[in-house]
This record gives sequence, structure tokens and C-alpha cells, in this order.
Amino acid sequence: MSHSEIKKPEDITVPPSSFLAKLPMLGGILAVAGLGATLGSAFGENKGRAMFAYLFAFESVLAIALGGLGWLLLDHTTRAGWGVVVRRFVETTAATLPVFALLWLPIGFLGFHELYPWSHEHDAILAKKAWFLAPGLWYARSFIYLAVWSALGWFLYSTSVKQDSLGDNHAERDRLVHLVRKVCAGGIFLYGVTLSFGAVDWLMSLQPHWYSTIFGVYYFAAGILAFFAFVTLMTMVAQSSGVMKTAITTEHFHDLGKFVFGYTIFWAYIAFSQFVLIWYANIPEETEFFMVRMEGGWQYISYGLPVLHFFVPFLYLLSRKVKRNRTLLGVGAVWTLVMHCVDLYWLVMPNYGAHGEGHHEPHLSPSFLDFTALIGVFGVFLAVYGVLLKRNKTVAINDPRLDESLVHENY
Amino acid sequence: MITGTADTLPDDPKIRGDVVLPDPTHGREALVRGTHDFHSITEMVCRVNEAPLKATPKPFLFGLALAASLLAMFGGYIGYLLWEGPGIWGNNNPVGWAWDIVNFVFWVGIGHAGTLISAILYLFRQKWRTSINRYAEAMTIFAVIAASSCVALHTGRVWMDYYLFPLPNQMGLWPNFRSPLEWDVFAVNTYFLVSLLFWFTGLVPDFATLRDRATVRWRQVFYGALSLGWRGSMRHWVTYEKAYQILAAFSAPLVLSVHTIVSFDFAVSQLPGWHTTIFPPYFVAGAVFSGFAMVQTLMIPARHWLGLKDLVTAKHIENINKIILVTGSLVGYAYAMEFFVAAYSGNDYEGFTFLNRMGGPYWWAYWTMISCNVLTPQLFWFRKIRTSATWSFVLAFFVNIGMWFERFVITVTSLHRDALVSSWDYFVPVTEIFYLLGTFGLFFTLFLLFIRFFPVIAISEVKSVMPQANPHWEGYEHGEHHAAATASAGGH
Amino acid sequence: MSTKSNLWGVLAQYENPHAIYKACEQVRDAGYEQWDACVPFPVHGLDKAMGLKASKLPWIVLTMGIFGSAFMVLFESWAMGSAYPIIVGGKPLFSLPAFVPVWYEATVLFSCVTAFFSNWILNGLPRPHHPAFGSKAFERVTDDKFFIMVEATDPKFDLEKTKALLQGAGATLVEELEP
Repeated sequence: MSHSEIKKPEDITVPPSSFLAKLPMLGGILAVAGLGATLGSAFGENKGRAMFAYLFAFESVLAIALGGLGWLLLDHTTRAGWGVVVRRFVETTAATLPVFALLWLPIGFLGFHELYPWSHEHDAILAKKAWFLAPGLWYARSFIYLAVWSALGWFLYSTSVKQDSLGDNHAERDRLVHLVRKVCAGGIFLYGVTLSFGAVDWLMSLQPHWYSTIFGVYYFAAGILAFFAFVTLMTMVAQSSGVMKTAITTEHFHDLGKFVFGYTIFWAYIAFSQFVLIWYANIPEETEFFMVRMEGGWQYISYGLPVLHFFVPFLYLLSRKVKRNRTLLGVGAVWTLVMHCVDLYWLVMPNYGAHGEGHHEPHLSPSFLDFTALIGVFGVFLAVYGVLLKRNKTVAINDPRLDESLVHENY
Repeated sequence: MITGTADTLPDDPKIRGDVVLPDPTHGREALVRGTHDFHSITEMVCRVNEAPLKATPKPFLFGLALAASLLAMFGGYIGYLLWEGPGIWGNNNPVGWAWDIVNFVFWVGIGHAGTLISAILYLFRQKWRTSINRYAEAMTIFAVIAASSCVALHTGRVWMDYYLFPLPNQMGLWPNFRSPLEWDVFAVNTYFLVSLLFWFTGLVPDFATLRDRATVRWRQVFYGALSLGWRGSMRHWVTYEKAYQILAAFSAPLVLSVHTIVSFDFAVSQLPGWHTTIFPPYFVAGAVFSGFAMVQTLMIPARHWLGLKDLVTAKHIENINKIILVTGSLVGYAYAMEFFVAAYSGNDYEGFTFLNRMGGPYWWAYWTMISCNVLTPQLFWFRKIRTSATWSFVLAFFVNIGMWFERFVITVTSLHRDALVSSWDYFVPVTEIFYLLGTFGLFFTLFLLFIRFFPVIAISEVKSVMPQANPHWEGYEHGEHHAAATASAGGH
Repeated sequence: MSTKSNLWGVLAQYENPHAIYKACEQVRDAGYEQWDACVPFPVHGLDKAMGLKASKLPWIVLTMGIFGSAFMVLFESWAMGSAYPIIVGGKPLFSLPAFVPVWYEATVLFSCVTAFFSNWILNGLPRPHHPAFGSKAFERVTDDKFFIMVEATDPKFDLEKTKALLQGAGATLVEELEP
């Protein structure tokens, strides 16, 4: 490399009075207020509605953390160098995964009956699915998913943190680098399987007659897209709090913007593939999914998603200037995150009230519970994120590829 | 596996490229091995093209003769097909359609690696692609030609093929744009044309190199015409690079769309085993998988015989194998997902189709597919195997076989037990085997001619990723003006 | 000004990317307009050293891409919905989801064909002859040598001064070119 003396960043701790340092408190307030309101209602007569709101919020935020884990696995496996300066923000995202195991508990133990009709209904089709959709197996699988994600997320975070304090111990550092690469290569496989089946178990089985082989990929696409939008925003927040002000340059934001752009296309590709095949073949077992989303107000979201979650951000992020301008890119990232929540809302909510006693046509009727659930779960996520970020340096300062990342330039 | 370090590479260019270097934790392994400057790169690549016609190696001529005779046979077979009609494939029964579709999808799939290497790896800044992109692109174009020959000839009245295009006509008739087969026409033709333009754009500067070095008249005229008067002007390079970048940016989603649309041919139907939503990404992964396997199959002998091991090193082989491992596993994921959802759906017909694939009359095809596509590529988890040229060649060859069988399994097993019992049949190819062989003749004839006359390595691109291509390279600052790259200098 | 009537310009040869990079900066700073650098591969940052502007190509491609895209979706809707209305497979006459694949391919086709041809047209290629091709040394421009040429029509051009500038910037060879 031509640049022999590269200055390592020095602003790598969270300043005590900055916004970033207040994240745990802010997140905590949101969490208490939001979760209090939502789960409080779950003990009243609105239990079903509250639990659906909670599931929507849980899946929306979990997707971000899982997206972060996915990026880390790919990043280490491909020996990517450009992103080392932002990697700690990603590792912190993935390190929140153990908390999602706790956040999952209300779904498993409070609202299981309300959420999943197959847990108590019986019909000819469900009888054929009983080998898979059985409560015992479902709990066992859920524990496996949560354990795998928590272990991978925490391992990647703690190993990277361990590297920070190694100083000049290059042998140990290199050993850890190689170890992480091996774990990540295998981790991709575990990740792919658990994420897909997680999506089947927790989301697809909300509508237990329906099936789609691409569904796991759909959830992955939604998650990694939301994650890139989130990490772009988090990096901006960190910089405005006085962290890594010069180390993270326009070049890195440009790359993050390219990923938001690229995964926007990927999400649209997967969504379109699922839709067009079901629409074209027109088989009743499958069209059920889109039929319920074509009435009762849901059709506006169904028509809106391709436009607002694809065409608008696609055209907006197409320009190099937008990706290289922090304010404009930030707007795009916020937009993407909002649309991600709409997408998940559209996946989860039409199932509310579609089954069981009091059966009615699902209609779009937003409730304040949806909002409180979202800020509640997101608050927990932010609080944990803030705590973990504050505990350590905000960059993997000892990473051997840090120099490469610092001088990174797009061509 | 010979292991070593960058500082202790042997001097012999015949073995230098095979040495496996440790996986670095910082910096990057040099992409070009040995002490090369720009001129020696030019020499190494152009040597292949510049040998006088009379001095063409005998084994090469033998290979060309073999391929050309297969091609001639293909010509005869096409004549027979046109004279008799597609009835010679037993097309009075749905399962009789299978063979030409299998071949079409097989060849189109192979055609995906070239554009993937040129476009997607380019967008991901994978500089190692520069020493393999040229012949991968060539392979793409020839594979798409072979694929097109399968679809263009299976229409029955081939002389009416122009009806596939939306040409104005006095009957006011337009093709049905809602039909996946019409989507195919657009996808494959667009893909072919864009790949060709992309390939040619990349070739122009290298044609100029051959033109400037040409000593005989016909070479001067031939390469002079192809190089369009390229003179390396930096003003041209600026526009050229932008055009190349744009072509790459469009080709990347294009390559995905082509196999997606091929998968739609199957998946929009209602046939169990064809209609499943994972098909688009699954077909794309499979196409990339088979394409990279074909790159590996062609490249390993080529780097050996053409003496290009300094440019196509053990690192390149390893990287390609990693992509084969990933895409092979993605294909395995899709097989598993299809199987799982067939069981999960509770749909009896789906369930039957998948059990019938495993244990029905075509069990041998299914298990060939699983072994070659999912099981054997897992050996690439071992570094010793994925850095070995011999192992890679063998396993990549298996993938080629497995991916042909994948298309066979999808098309044939679903068709031989469809909704009408009267359509049930056991498909036995008769003359179709000549058809498959013929497409190989077409492919290899074109490929061998390409190797002989066109630069097989993107010369100017390889130069641009060498460390001394950077005007701020350390060597210049230390005044080593004619310094050659050393392997430790890094390829970043 | 130039003294010879049949002088096209001056050609100078440099040995490596570093040398031509420094030389281009000097020629640029001397205020020349009609000059060029010829190199075997795009040298990173040389466009900035020469003071070149970004290419117009993306805008042309964008325009044609949007045109192709709009044309095809309208054409499909017209052909299927109005010119030759026939129901196939139970799909409505205007069935947008089924139009997407061809719509998409047409967008790519228009954009890529435009990018390809604009590249050559903007660059004034094919151009079979160029004065520099008269130089024997220039044959290595596509191999390993780096050249700067300054045209005699440049307002700043002065045979001796220009030669001295190029020589002073580290040229290993300076030649005069005839048209």
C-alpha cells in the first residue's frame, strides 16, 4: 500500500454528554412506555390485538438485528476491507440478539394461542401439517433459532472487542481473525436455515394453510435492507455525537448507500417473484395470501408497497450525488426504515381476526397499540445498543484491515 | 498442495502459480505472480495469438477438428430435424419435449458466469476477476448461442421464427406479451446482445495491442478493423470506463433477470414440481453455480497449456471454488426448501412429485443431481482440495454433469406424471443425444477459435490492478523507475 | 507559433504511470487545452491530473433508458389491450404484472445499446488513422509506454517551448508529428 503512515482515529469513545451516551436512557423510556402500554393491554380484553401488534413490532426490529448478523457473516467470509470503520456499529447490532430471546417470551408464552390458529384449530389440511406445526416442536425450534442467533451475534461482538486490547500481540490477533472467518463461513449455513425456518414458524404459520418456498428469502431481504438503512443512520448519529468524525468518510457512506440501493432492488425482486408466480398460476391455496391483502383497506398498502418501497427509493438512491450527501442519504434511510415497518405490518396484521371465533374479514384498522409496541421493542433494542456501544471503543481499532478501510475510495 | 510464502516463490513460472499462499489477515495477496512488468504481461498473453498459423500446436488442431466434426454432425442433424420436424423427438407426448428444454436451460445457465464475473464481481471490486473475465465472457456468448440454437430450432416451423418478435404486420397481430415464452425471447436476445457489446467493449483496447504488435498484413487489417482505431487516449478512457461501468451496472440485474425469466417458464404453470415461488432465486443460484463450474473446467487446462499460471493462480482457483461452494449450497437449500414445503403444504400432488423424484422411475437422475450438486462440492470446505487444480477440475466436472441432470430432473420428472394419465410415459432419448453432442461441438469450435485469435486475458485490465499501475506506488517514490512487481507488494 | 506548415503536434514518451502523472499536471498547469495523454490502461487519477471533466455519457444513457422503458410498457399495454385484444390464460387485457419482464428487458436493452454506441460516438471512434500512428514509438502505447501529445493548433503551442516543457517533465523521447 502506498500510504505508509495512516492516522488511526482517536475519537473512538462515546462522549459522556452526547446524544449517543443518552441512548440507553432514551431507549429505556420508550421501552417502558411502549411495552407497558402494549403488554398491559395484552392482559385485558384486547389481548389478540395487542399480541398481533407486539409480533409485528418484534419481527420488524428483529429483522434489523438479523440483517446485521447476516452482514457480519458475509463480511468476514469475503474478507471485505472497506467496512472495518463501521463494523463495530454492526457488531453492536448483532450483539443485541440475546435480548430478542427475552423479547420473544411474550410471543411464546403469552400470545401463542391468539397468534397461531393452528395451535387450537382443526381441519383436514391442518391435520396433514401436524407433523410440523405441533406446539412442542414449534417451541423446540424457536429455542434453537434464538440460541443460534444469540451465540453467533455475541461471539462476533465479543471476539472483536477482545481484539481491541491485544495491542501488538499480532499472533493472537491473527488467530482470532482466522477463527472468526471459519466460524462465519459455517455460520452462514446455520443462519440461512434458522432464519428461513424462523420466518416459516413465526410468520408464515400465521396463515397456516398458505405456503410459499421463497418466504424465508423474503424475510431475509426485508431484514438486511432495513439493517443497512439502520446502520447508515446510526453512523450518522454517532458522527453527530462526536465519534469517528473524520475516520468515516463520504466513501463509506457511498458504499452504505449502494447497499441500501442494492437491497432495495433485491427486496423488490423477491417480492415480485413471489407475487407474480402466485398471481399467474392462480391456485386457490396460494392466492389466499394476496386475496386477504386485496380488500378491507389492505389493497392500498398492497399497491403502495411496490411504489413506495421500491420505485421511489430506487429512483431516489440511483443518483451518486444522493448517496454521497449525508442529509439526502439519511432521508433515504429513514424512508426505507419506515417502509420496512409498513412491509412487516402488511405481513402480520391481516391475519388478525381472520380465524377462530369472532371471525371477520380482516380490515386495515391501525391502533395506538401498533405504535406503542413498535416504540417499545425498538426502545429495548436502542437501550441495549447504547449500553453495548458505550462499553467499548466505537471501532475495531486493532483490526488488521483498519488501514485499508481508512483509505478506502470508490472508483 | 505446495505451500509457501510470497517471498519464497520459486522462479519456475510452470509451478509458481500453483503455490498456495497463506490467507493474509491484512493486505492482499498479489494477483500477478513473479516479477512482471507491463511489457512481460503483454508478451505472455499475446504469445498465444501471435504464433504463426503454421505453428499452431498439434493438440489444438486435433481438438478443433474434433469440435468442428461434431459441429458438422450438428449441421446434418439440424437438416434432418427441419426435414422431418420435431416429431423426431417424440413430441406427441409432453415428456418428449423435455430434451431441448433441458439443453436450453443447461446452456443458458452456463452462460451466466461470464457476465457475473464481469459485472457483479466488478461492482463488488473483486480485482481478481481481471484474469478470468475475458474467457468467461467468451464462454457466456458461445453458451448463449448454443442455448439459442436449442430454442430457435424446437419451434417446428423454424422459418416462421420471426413471429416471435413484435414486427408490424398487415394482420395487426402482436406476440402475446403475457406469455413467459415471449419473455424468454426478450430476455435471451437482450442478454446475448448486451453480453456481446460488453465483451467487445472490453476487447477493443486489447485488439489495439495486437494491432500494434502485428507483423503480418492480415493481422494488421484484422485487428486494425476490430480495434476501431483505439489509441489509448485518456480522454477516451474516461468515457470508456463510464460506459463499462454502466454496462456492468445493467448487466448485473440483467443476468439475474434472464434466469429468473427462464425459471418463470416453469414456475408460472400449475404443474407440481414446477410451480414454486423459490424458483427465480434458485435458478439464478444454479446458473451461477454451473457457469462457474464450466469456467473452472475450461480454465484449469487453459492456464496449464497456454502458460498463464502467473496470472491465473491457485488463489483464483480457490476463489472460484468458494463461489461454487456457496452457490452449490444455495441450490441445496432450494432443493431442501422445495421438499420441505411440499411436505408442509399438505398438498398430495406436491408430495407425490417429490417422493416420485427420489424413488420413482427417474431415481437415478435425482440422485446423480444430489451427489454432484450438493454433496461433492462440500469437499471444497477443505482448503487442500479447493486450492488443488486437479481436485477442482474433477469436482467442477461433476457439477457440470449434476447441473445438466438438475434440469433433466425438473423437466422430465414433472412431465412424466402430470395431471392427465394419458400423458404418462417413460422418456427414452433416441436421436436427441446427437443434438446435445452437436451443441457441444458448436460451443467448443467457437471457444477454440476464440483462444487462438482473441486475447484470452484482459491485458489492459490486468495491468491496471498491478501495484505499479498506481502512480503513487511506493516504488516510484523510492525512485525505482523500472521496478517490477514483487509478489509481496500486494494487489490492492 | 508554429513555424512548420505540416506540423500536427508534438509527441512525448514517458516510462511509467508516475512520470506521466507528474507530466500531465505540468501540462495542465501550463494552460494547454488541445492536448491528450495516451496510456495502455486507465491510470488512476490521471483524469484529475489532466483536468478532464466527467463524461456526459450517463445522462445520455439515462434519457434513452427512460424513453425505452416508457415506450415498452405503453407498447405492451396498447398491443395487448387495444390493438390485438385477446384473453389468454384468463389474464385481464391490461395485466401489468405480466408486462414487467419484457418492460424490464427493454429498459436494459435501450440503456446498454445507448451506452455502447455513445461510448464510440463521443470518443470519435472508429477512426482508422491518427497522426500519432505515424510514430514508431507510439506502437507501444498499447503495451507499456505512456505518451502526451500537444496539438499545434493549441493557442499556447510553441514548438520549442512545448518541447522543452515536455522534456523537462521527464520525457524519454520527444517527436514531431505530421498530419
